This record gives sequence, C-alpha cells and structure tokens, in this order.
Amino acid sequence: MDVGGTFLLAPLLKTKSLPALVLICLALACACHRGRSSFSDLTITREVIDDAGRRVLLPGRVDRVISLAPNLTEIVFAVGAGDRLVGNTTYCDYPPEAKAVTKVGDSLQPSLERIIALRPQLVLISTASQLEVFTQQLHDQNIAAFVTDPHDLDGVFRTIEQVGQILGQTQQASALVKKLRERTNVVQQAVQNAKPVRVFYQTSGEPLYTIGKDAFVTDLIRRAGGVSVTADVPGAWPKYSNESALAARPQAIILPTGGSMGAANSTVAEALRNSPAAVAGRVYKINDDHLARPGPRLVDGLEEMARALHPEAFKQ
Amino acid sequence: MTVALSDPAGVIAMRRDRVTLRKTVVSCALLAVTLLLAVILLSLVGSEQLPVRSSLCALLSLGTSPCGLSQDQFDILFQIRLPRIVLAAAVGGSLATAGASYQSLLRNPLAEPYLLGISNGAAVGTMVALVFFGASEWSRPVLAFAGSLLATLAVYRLARGRAGATPERLILAGVIVTTFLSSVIVFVTTLMDATRIRSFTFWLLGDLSGTSKTLLPVTIAIAVIGAVALTLNARSLNLLMLGERDAFDLGVEVGRVRIVVFVVASLLVGSSVAASGSVGYVGLVVPHLARLSLGSDNRISIPAAALGGALFVIVADTVARTVIAPRELPVGAITALIGAPLFIYLLKRA
Repeated sequence: MDVGGTFLLAPLLKTKSLPALVLICLALACACHRGRSSFSDLTITREVIDDAGRRVLLPGRVDRVISLAPNLTEIVFAVGAGDRLVGNTTYCDYPPEAKAVTKVGDSLQPSLERIIALRPQLVLISTASQLEVFTQQLHDQNIAAFVTDPHDLDGVFRTIEQVGQILGQTQQASALVKKLRERTNVVQQAVQNAKPVRVFYQTSGEPLYTIGKDAFVTDLIRRAGGVSVTADVPGAWPKYSNESALAARPQAIILPTGGSMGAANSTVAEALRNSPAAVAGRVYKINDDHLARPGPRLVDGLEEMARALHPEAFKQ
Repeated sequence: MTVALSDPAGVIAMRRDRVTLRKTVVSCALLAVTLLLAVILLSLVGSEQLPVRSSLCALLSLGTSPCGLSQDQFDILFQIRLPRIVLAAAVGGSLATAGASYQSLLRNPLAEPYLLGISNGAAVGTMVALVFFGASEWSRPVLAFAGSLLATLAVYRLARGRAGATPERLILAGVIVTTFLSSVIVFVTTLMDATRIRSFTFWLLGDLSGTSKTLLPVTIAIAVIGAVALTLNARSLNLLMLGERDAFDLGVEVGRVRIVVFVVASLLVGSSVAASGSVGYVGLVVPHLARLSLGSDNRISIPAAALGGALFVIVADTVARTVIAPRELPVGAITALIGAPLFIYLLKRA
C-alpha cells in the first residue's frame, strides 16, 4: 500500500503542486482510517457484553449482519430483521428465505475473505461451532463479533432478546419471547403432575454420543416432563459408554433425526436394543432441527418431546 | 563316510527345528493362557460395577447360566463387554501380526501399518464405504482391504529405487503416503455434515465401542487365518531377513512370499481398521517386544506377536473405557500413550 502510494505520487512530486499533494495525502489518510468496516468505526455508540464476556462495540443501527449458525439465522428472521442478513452459512436453511442469503461457508469453516467482502457491521457466532480462533481473527479485522452460548431454554430466550436489542427490534423480540414463554408454560403445566420419564438422548448411535449437563437439551427434557439419565455427565455432548447407557435403564429413548440430518441417527444403538425403552417401543424420533438449534423452534421441539413422553397429558 | 558326514547335519537341523517348535509351543501356550485370563479378568471391569462372583460364574459357564445376574447385567457382560474385548483382541492380534510380517519382509524395524500409511489407506476405504455405501456393513471391510492393499503397493513401489528398497526410502515413502492419505481424509471429513464429523473423528483415532455383531466373526476369522497363514510363511520370512537375493538363492519364492504377505497383511489391517479405526503403535511395539524377549525367529515371533497384540489392545481398551467413565476415550490415544514411550525405551535398550 505504502509502496504503491509513493510510486503513484512520484510524478506529482516533480510538478511541485503542493496543494494537490496535500489533498491526496488527506484522501489516503481518510481511506486508511475508514478501514474495512468503515461506517461502524465512525459511529460506535453502543457497547454490549456477549456470552463469552467480550465487550462488543456497535453502531447505533446495525444494517449489515452475518450469521454463522442456523439457530442465529432463525433468530434474526424471527425478530423481523431477516432483510438485514447479508450472509449466513450453508447450514442455514430455515426460514426458506434464509437459503437465498449469500453463503460464507459452513458453521465450522466460514470464509474470512467472503465475510470481509460483505462488509458486515456485526457477525453473530454460536460457540457450538467452536469458533474461538475465528472470533479473534474477526476482532483483528475490526469486525464486531457477538458470541452466543445458551445452556438452557432461558438462555435461548435471553439470546433472542439480545439479538433483538442489537438489531433494534426490541419489541418484536420481547413479543416473540413472551409467546414462546407462554407455550413453554402450557407444556410445563400439562406435565407437572406426571411422573418424570427417564430419558436417554442419543445424538449418535455408533459410536454412542449423548448429552451432558451443559447441553440445553438436558434442560428441555426436564421441562418436557422427563429426566435425562446423563444429566450429571460433565460436558455438553459426551461420548458415552454403551454399558452405562444400558445400565441406566432408560424408559424412553429420543433420537434427534430427520430435518437437515436426513436419515442419520434413525435407529437405536445396538447396545440399547434390549433397554426397557426399546422393549416397550418407547423410542421417539424428533426433528433434529427442532432440538439441535437453540433458537425459536426449540419450543417446537419441547412440545414434540412432551407429547411423546406424556401423550396422556395432551389429550383434549 | 560322506553319508555319515551329511547325516549329523540333518539331525542337527531337525533337532534345532524341534527345539524351535517346543519354544514356540511353550511361549504361545503361556501367552494364550495369559490372554484368556486377561479376557476373563478385564470382563469384570467397566464403567458399570457388576457383582464379581456372579459375573465370574456366568463367564465360566460360558453364558449358559446367569448365576444371579440381572438381565441388564447379563446383557452388559455378554452383549456389550465381552464382544468388545474379543474385538479388541482380534484387532490387536491382526495389527501386531501385520507389523511383524512387514518388518521381516521389508527388513525394516519401523515398518508398521500405521507409520507406512497402510492404516490410512484402509481408513480412506472405510470412509468411501461410509459415504457411498452407508447402508451396507460389508462394504466397509471390503473397501478397507482394497484401500490398505493399494496403500501397501504404493509405499512399496515408491520405496523401491534403483538400489532396492533402503530402510530410509521405505520410511520416507510411508511418510509421503501417510500425509497424502491424511489430506484425503481431511478433505472427505470436510464434506461430511457437521453432526457426523465428531463421531467420525473419534472413530479415526481408534474406537472399539461400535462392535458390529455381523462383522465381529469376520474380524476374528481374518485375525486367526491371517496369523496362521503368516506363521506358515515364517521360515521364508526368516530367510528373507538375509536379503532378497540370498533368500532367492536359498530356494525362497520371493515373489510369492511377498504377494502372500502383502495380501494377508492388508486383509488384517483392512478388517481391523474397518472395525475400529486406526489404532496406532500396536504393530510396532508388540513385534519388537516379542523379538526382544523370544528372539527374531519368525516362527516364534509372529504367533507370539499375534497373541501379545491381542493382550496389549485389550489392556489399552480397558483403560480407554474406564478411566473417565461413563465417558470414553478413543483406544488409539491409549495405545499411542503407552506405545510411544515404550518404543523409545526399547530403542534405547536395544
């Protein structure tokens, strides 16, 4: 940049036209100052703290947003700011309009170059996609990145409200969360007197993966009138012992499958074929998109799970 | 006189063979007993605590009597734990046998399925099977075999320069094939959908938890047949350790032996990788240990490596499935953790 500038300036230096030189220098300085995320730099008016405890500086109005996770894309659309989404990932397939948005890669390998080219004022990140290093790279490029990391349903509601506030859609976000809370309460009231069902949540059969205490699904199962038999296991998505899963004697097995997962994970792990749940036929397939994405549709997942675990509670 | 002179030589050779045979039988019998004991004792260990006395009784009755175990406990013992331990034995035996025969055939102490990229070849084959023929379990070992055979031939061709296959060239060829296939694996993994990547990565590091009931008998059969087939070629392999030309002059059909070892060892590596991913260091550490303690005669060291490999992986997998129970580690991480320091120790001592 410097070399190129000096080279271009060489003829001007010979002509000794000082005013022109000064003007060009000023223009260059401005251009440099503008940087990549130009208007955000000049109009920072807000500071928010994200779920990773980072201070994020934002302009008053955010018009260009990139989402790096399908749940965040769903939230942006749900709070009525879908038209400001200038980029998302190949996993972002809901609502249908999200498919038409420019893709910046998938959640695990987004393209930094394409993100820079889209001149976002804000990039929304979910820690589920393990992008710590990438977040730092965005920071180095002066691109504001907001990290979300909900561990339970209340955390998901908080994320929706935060995204709403950031995008200036506070009312829509509050109305949405209010509606979601009402639906959640209906479910919880319906199952509150039912005996909790012991649930094994199988995220993958071979090898066997499940949910641990840090997963928001653990909280979801509790609200749906169940109790995850792996609720005390450290971590969020642990690799689990076949024999411990069988020894836990789950009364029901939930298979998140379908949706963007296709036919994957649609059968019970071989080790659990003789578990009380499988013997009693209490194996429930629930759309993975409703359970794996901590966004508004998580409440759909909650309703589906509660109806599966306690069909008697929803007979009208 | 001449007849009398040649006779003692023959008698000596026969007597030497008989000594070797006795040594083979004794050491293998000892190892087999240890292996059997390990299978029984380590079946009593797991993330779930089973009543020891009843479990032992049920195991000794060969599963015919529950001996007071509940149905769940019985299933844990016979449907989950025992098949996994048996698979560990088959995988360990296969990899160690393959390692021992590669080391003799290629006259290279570092020749090992993992270091030569042969495991990676099998892993690529398994991936192709998973991605394109996901529904068919049988496609996995078949394509894994094809992958390991192709990788073996690639390494061998790359290693053979004008001056023959020097040990350094062989290892370099192995490094090239390994890294090339690793990038293929990374590339295919990138194309997988996000939810499968983690479980796939776990499998890649060596994981015995996905014991398939259909493939288990095949893996065991291949391990046994492979070990027997390579032991039957042990005498030729002994002579090959002198060099290919000398072996040829001594009447060894070098080409035939090479093909047998390549095909059988690829079969062994392919079936174990298809069942459990890449479990490293087994084919390196175990044959070395066998040779150090029993001598470098392949008639002893190949069957001993087979049994020792089984023992090694059973122990490593017991650690993998219990140390952070009820969560699990990939067994490949444990074999590497034990194997690498052990190998350094062996190198220093030798």
